[in-house]
Formats: sequence, structure tokens, C-alpha cells
Amino acid sequence: MTHRLLSPRDRSSGARNASSRACGTWRRPSVVVAALCGAAILAASAPASADIANFDMAGNIYTKWLYRNNDNQGILSYGNPFWPENFSGDNGVGSEFELKLMGTVSEFVEADVRLKSRYGSVWQDFFENGNVSYDEPNTSAESLGLDHGEYVKLRGYRVLIRPPYPYLDQVAVGSTDLSMFNPWSIGKIRYTDRDNTKGVFVQGSGGDRTFEWLAGAIALPKLWAGPGWTTGLGDQALDHPLWAKDWAYGTRLDLNLDDITFTLVGTTTLDYEINRADPDATGALYPNCEDQLGDPIPGCERDHAVDLDERYTNTVGTAEIQFDGIDDVSLHVLGAVATSNIDKRYVTNGVADNAGVFPMPYKDTVDGSARVRAELYEPFGMGDVNVQLEYFYIGPEYVSHFAARREADVLLTDGLIEGGQLPTLNVANEFQDFDEPFYESVIGWHGGTGIVSADLDPVTLKFEQTAIGYATNAQGRDVDSVFPDFLHSEGFTDTVLFDYANVLDRGRDPRSVYRKNQERFTTVSVLWTGLALEALADLQVDFKLKYIRDTDGRDASRQDDNYAADIAYGQLTLTLPVGDELTVGLGGQYDVWLEENRSGNESAGYQDYDTTRVRAFTTLKWVFGGAEFAYIIEYVHKEQERELDDDQVFNVLRSKATLGVSW
Amino acid sequence: MNAKVSTAVLLALLFAAGTAVAGELEFKDPSGDDKGHGKLVYPTDKAYQKGSFDLVGVTIDASGGDVEVTVEFASKVEDPWDSKSWGGHGFSLQFVQLYIDQDHKAGSGHGSALPGMNVDFAETARWEKVLLISPQPNSRLKSEIGQKAKAQGKDIVLPKKVKVRGKKIVATFKASEVGTWAKGWGVQALVQSNEGYPTKEDLLSRKVNEYEGEHRFGGGNDFDCDSHVIDMLAGAGKGEAGEAKAQYTALGGFTCDASGKGARAKIDMVYPQ
Repeated sequence: MTHRLLSPRDRSSGARNASSRACGTWRRPSVVVAALCGAAILAASAPASADIANFDMAGNIYTKWLYRNNDNQGILSYGNPFWPENFSGDNGVGSEFELKLMGTVSEFVEADVRLKSRYGSVWQDFFENGNVSYDEPNTSAESLGLDHGEYVKLRGYRVLIRPPYPYLDQVAVGSTDLSMFNPWSIGKIRYTDRDNTKGVFVQGSGGDRTFEWLAGAIALPKLWAGPGWTTGLGDQALDHPLWAKDWAYGTRLDLNLDDITFTLVGTTTLDYEINRADPDATGALYPNCEDQLGDPIPGCERDHAVDLDERYTNTVGTAEIQFDGIDDVSLHVLGAVATSNIDKRYVTNGVADNAGVFPMPYKDTVDGSARVRAELYEPFGMGDVNVQLEYFYIGPEYVSHFAARREADVLLTDGLIEGGQLPTLNVANEFQDFDEPFYESVIGWHGGTGIVSADLDPVTLKFEQTAIGYATNAQGRDVDSVFPDFLHSEGFTDTVLFDYANVLDRGRDPRSVYRKNQERFTTVSVLWTGLALEALADLQVDFKLKYIRDTDGRDASRQDDNYAADIAYGQLTLTLPVGDELTVGLGGQYDVWLEENRSGNESAGYQDYDTTRVRAFTTLKWVFGGAEFAYIIEYVHKEQERELDDDQVFNVLRSKATLGVSW
Repeated sequence: MNAKVSTAVLLALLFAAGTAVAGELEFKDPSGDDKGHGKLVYPTDKAYQKGSFDLVGVTIDASGGDVEVTVEFASKVEDPWDSKSWGGHGFSLQFVQLYIDQDHKAGSGHGSALPGMNVDFAETARWEKVLLISPQPNSRLKSEIGQKAKAQGKDIVLPKKVKVRGKKIVATFKASEVGTWAKGWGVQALVQSNEGYPTKEDLLSRKVNEYEGEHRFGGGNDFDCDSHVIDMLAGAGKGEAGEAKAQYTALGGFTCDASGKGARAKIDMVYPQ
């Protein structure tokens, strides 16, 4: 269940008055809160204990209704694409509760924890204690496992120490959202994982923050931060995976001068495994230092220390300059270099053995990326006209597996799919609902974007033109054993009717950037218009028109496989505020995708696709007294005419409602 | 406002209408004074870049059918919390409140700034209107105002449009809600930080504590007796060095006793000549 807070919740404490109020004025405190307040009061009465005034707390209840005209049960549109779980589905309603405790230990030390109930249970579960997880659901009230037991889990914990030493501002120990680096190196963790990453960070500054520094060590997430989305666990190449010694390290330096800022970031991830040639290692090949014939192995000696090898290392360096020294001009330059080193003894080749689904090339790589962005505000005396220009080059073998996986956007362009563009193959379009944005990998993208926007009150106009060449263009690229193609690399991606296994023929995987033969070029043109009608109760009318021309010569030695697509759609949205608390919206979208040689293969040939899609939706938002309710219901009709395969028709009606209260 | 005060405001407005000001009003503020009463320090999270709350200029253009307010900071206005995803306006950190004294008369108008700023205005500098420049959508602002500032609600003006231009935030307000700009009006811009989860009393502003936290300002007091303004206009609003000291003095004029009781700082408006 993903939902987004409006900003990071205050974590610091010291608000003595607030905590006292919290315990003193809740008329009907929950058991948990009452217990905490009671414990705090008892603690306060003990001479050697902290005062109750030293902690603050915050709570949140979030409820989601999700419904669709199918028979899936669950409250998350897109769950885990790899491991089966029993909480994903399109029909259900569930709630979750969160409690944060923030404590001031002393003048220099504070701490906070976040407790949260597990999502997954639907109201119809009535009572599930999560005691047992049977193979099939039953009426025992303990058949669905802990995910349906609504247990409260310790999700985050942190200690912050701020000693009064020069050039040292803070030491942070524990949970982190990794927002201190950048999306190109170690990226901010996606919202649903915001406290799952743990580390130690030290930061300081000098000269009234003219320079700032930060260094951190981060426990490498064993579930996804490595080749094959693992740091060893589950890799068939390993008999005794070691993950508890895997760390990432990051540093950041900022130099803040008048109108110009320099930022350097350096990160490296180190995934270690046991060297099984060491006789001290678990599962050692020669524990007695004798070979298979019983002869002693030269140099082999037990010393009660285990040697380690690096299964995978990934090092990224970025340099950024932000210049604001010219009136109404902003310039930003970013350069990045990344190295990726795989020890093939310890990494199964997922490109060859996992159908091309693997988050990096299966080889050592070194590559760079660059982005130059200029923003001109009202240039040449043009009132209320602004221009944004961007050049981008993302190296075809630029590997940053710990980069931002979603909820970030490194390019100005609207992209091929709406949402965001990210410089990694480790993009995560998962644990999200149908109304949330998708993200695409921009590895190999090379081109530029120009955006002109004008504010001609009451009309706003914005036009984007982007041209994308591809540094990944090549003939005979090895996608069988080196470069992952994510199995489905053809056709425009349908993110409205998306599915992981591609049983719906939804087009290219958003991570698929490599093909055996590619000569691709793309242009993206987008026009946004907005009209604010004060005379009609502040009705806001927005229209978006988007056109993508996408061509790929594929095999340069033949013409009959050339891909050519004209992707166009228009979207109209009406938004009307009704009083102070209510906003309603109404919209529609019509898509036409004409794709020549959209799908197929070299031997069987390719077939054309003509796709039309109609989407109509209504939204509602009600903000009242601290509660926020949001609702969307949409109908999607899609017709996919396929030259060789049977045509497909989709009629989808689905809705999502959320209610959030925080206190 | 009582009837007497309302009448005074009305007369002032009528008078003001007769001496309407055309063109731009420009105010400057010295850089490096984003320390509130002189001792405030930024939160420690990397999102709060140096200069993020350092006000260096305010421009008010009331020449058209709308009132356009441009607020400039010392560093580029960033959006680390992806405000567009929650209906915002392309920035995340800043929250500016532009107070307007339309009559410059003692006892006329609201005496206290909005909840969370913890400052009062001098008797002759009470305000009739406040214009909010926040990354939050108007629906959220209205909800918060309804809960926390009902008494001032009718005099709080929300923007019809907000946009970011490098180091500037430009907000457009309906002239019909602000009034016809006139000579003699006073202006004060108070800079705070947008807090999506404010405490029960604060109107979307960030706490100031004795010690800075990851998302809280430091250098203040754990109680609510101290000023929570990070930067503001001072003196003649010309950006002269002495204006920083004037700001520190004005915002430092609060008193706090051990139980958190005390008197709030009183600040003035800037009245352009």
C-alpha cells in the first residue's frame, strides 16, 4: 500500500508542551497510546529516568478502498512481481496505523522510532491473527499469515547525536531514506521503503555552511541491491551466501559560494562473499588443506580468519555545478562516471539463465553520463515566457544499481511514458496502485529537450520538443549472455493496463534498453494548455496533446523489420473547486497508436498493431478538519488490432479511494 | 474587528482607492540574515540548502488586474519533496506570508501574525490582509485556516497561481481580494518553512526548538514564546546592512520564562515612501 506524506514528518523533538498535551488531552486514547503515556508518566516519576516531557508522538490512520471489475482480491494494484504474496489484488479495503515516537535524550542526543501496522488485511477478513499461514485460505482465522494479522512492526529507528565539535554537525545512526546523495548514485529510497534502509552518517560544515561534508555507511539491502536483485541470497552460484557484511559507502562535499554551488558525490557498494578456498570458510573446498588425492595444498593454512571476495562492486562519482549568477538564468551541469564489476564466480548470469531479466550488463563496465540544463526566465524581454533547455547523455553502459528506483526524475522531458526517467536498470514499478506514475530507464539516451512556457492569463501554454538518439544503438549486440533485454523489448508500453508477466501484450518493459539490433530514433512533442475560468466558479480546464514518433531500423541489413510508430493522445481535464473543502474533477483521454512491425522476431517476421484506447475518469478530493479523502473512478476501453494474432478488447472499470488522518 | 475599526478600515480603503498606486513596489533584504532573531539555525537534513530561506527581495506588481508578488531568495528554489505529486506548485521548503497594513492606524487590523509565526505587529502596523505563498494547494490551506485561523480567515488571501522561476517564487492574487493598492500601505514578508504535518496550533509552519533537528529549526526555545520567523523585511526595506541588525532586534524582542510564558516579539511593517 503506497501513499505519500506531504513532506517528511518532523522527527526532532524537544517540544515539551506538545508531548504533555498529547498525553493530557486525548479523551479516548488508544491502548497503545495510553500505555505509552502511562509508561512515560511512570518513568518521569522515577528519579533516574527521562521526563515525560522529553518525548513527542504522532499518529496516522490510512484507509484505502480499491475496486475493479475483475475477481482479484487484495489492496495493492501492483505488488511483488517476483515472489508470490497474498495482499496484491484489485478488490478490497484495508487500513493501517502508524505511531511515531520522538524523544529528546539530552541537549545533544535525540531518537525516534516508527511503528506501523502491517498492510494486507482487508476488512472482510474480520479477524485474522496471523498465527499460521496455510497453503489455502480457510475459516480458522489464522490461515492468511502475518500480512493479514495487522500486527505492528518496528519500521524505523534512529539516534541523532549533535556534539558541539567544530566542523561536525550531526551523527545519525539507524534508518534513512537516503535522500542525501542524488538519483544518479545512491538515490532516495522509494516511499514505501523509506525507513527500511539503515546506516551511519556523519555530516559537518564550516564557514557558515560555505562548505559542507557528509560521509555514510549503508547496510546493503539484501533483497535487491545487487546482480540478480540480490547480494547473494538465492543466487545459484553460491552455496553459502554472505550478506551481513555487505555495505555501501557514500560521501558528499558541497561548496556554497555566492551564486555558484559545487557538489561532489562519491559512492561505492561492496557485496562480499566467502572465499571457499580459505580452509576456515563455511563450506570450504579444502577444509583440511588437502586436495582430493590427500596431498597438502601449498599455501593453505588455517588461521581462524575467513578471506572474502568481492562478488560485486559498483562505484559512482558525480560532480554538479549550479550557477545563478546571471539574472533570470539558472544553469546546472552534471557529470557522472560509474564502474560496475561482477565476479562471475559468484554471480549467476541472469541474462542467459533468467530470460534476459537482470539489472545490469553481465560484464565489467565503465561509462559516464552528462546533463546540462539551462533555464531562462522571461528571456529577451518576453514577459511571462520561460525557456528550458537540456542536453543529456546517459552512457550505454552506465551502471548505478543503487540509484533512485522511482519517485525521482532526472530529465526535463515528459518521456515516452509519463512519470519519470531514471539512470538505472533497477527501476521499480512495483508496490504501487493503478493511479501512480510509472518510471522508465534512460540508459543510453542521448539528445535534448526544449520547453517553452507562456503565461497569458488566463491561459497557460507549455510546449516540449525532445529528440532522443540512443547510445545503445548497435548491430549484433549480445543480448543472450551479456546485455539484459528484459524479455519484452518491443512495442509502446501501456502503463494504464500494465502487467508484469506481459500476458496482456502491454509492450516494452520500461527497463528494456538493449536490443540485438537497434537503429532507433525518437521525437517527443507535447503541448499543455490550461485555462482558468474565474467567471465559472474558478473552473480549471487543462488539455494535453502528446505525439511520439518512434522509429527503429533494427537489423540494418534488411528493411522489412523496420519499426515505425506514431503514438498520439489527447487528454482533457476539468477541475472545479466546490466551496472550501471539496474539489471535483472530470476528464477523458483518447489514444491512437499506429505501430508498424510492432512485434515479432527475426525469423517469423513482424506484425503491425493499431491500438485505440479511451479513458474516462472522475476525481474527488475532500479536505476537511484534518482529514483528507480522495477518490478516482475510471473506465478504460482499449482495442488492440493485431495483424497476425487475434485482436484484443479490454473493458476495465476501477476505482480507488483513500482516507488519511494524521495527528 | 469591532464596528469602529471596520469603519476606519472602510474609510481608509475609500481614501486609498483615490490614491491608487500603479507600477511595482520593490523591497530588498540583506543576504545572510536568515537567522530569525540572530541565532536560528537551519534543520540538519540536506534538503535545507544554504540560503533556502534567505529573503533578498520582494516585488509587488499591482498594476494589472491582479496583484503579482515575487519573492526572491539567496539560492535556487528547489523541490526536494516533489510537490507536484501532492498538488503543489513546484517547490517544497518555503512558506512566505505577506502582511499588508492598509491604513497604518493604531489598533486597526489584526495584531498577531498567523499561528506558528509567534510574532505580533506593532499597534500602528496591524494588518488587514495577508497573502499566503505556500507550496500547498489551496484546498489544504483552506482546511488549515478553517481549523487554526478562523478569526482571521476572511482576511487571508490565497493565490490563484504560483510558479517558480529560479531563485524566485511568483504568486498571483486576485486584486478584488487584496484591494486596490494605494500609497501608504505597509508591507511585511515573513519567511518560514512549509511543514506538511504541523503541530496542532501551527498553520503549516515548521517548529523552532532550542536545538535543531533533522526537520526543525534550532536556536530558539522549546516553548512557543519565541519568534519562529526565519527572515523578514526590516528598516526601510532597501537591503542595507543595518537592516539585518534591525531584524534581529525586532524578532529578538520576546521574553520566555521557565514555564514558557512570556511576551511575543513585536515587529513593524515597511512603508514605502
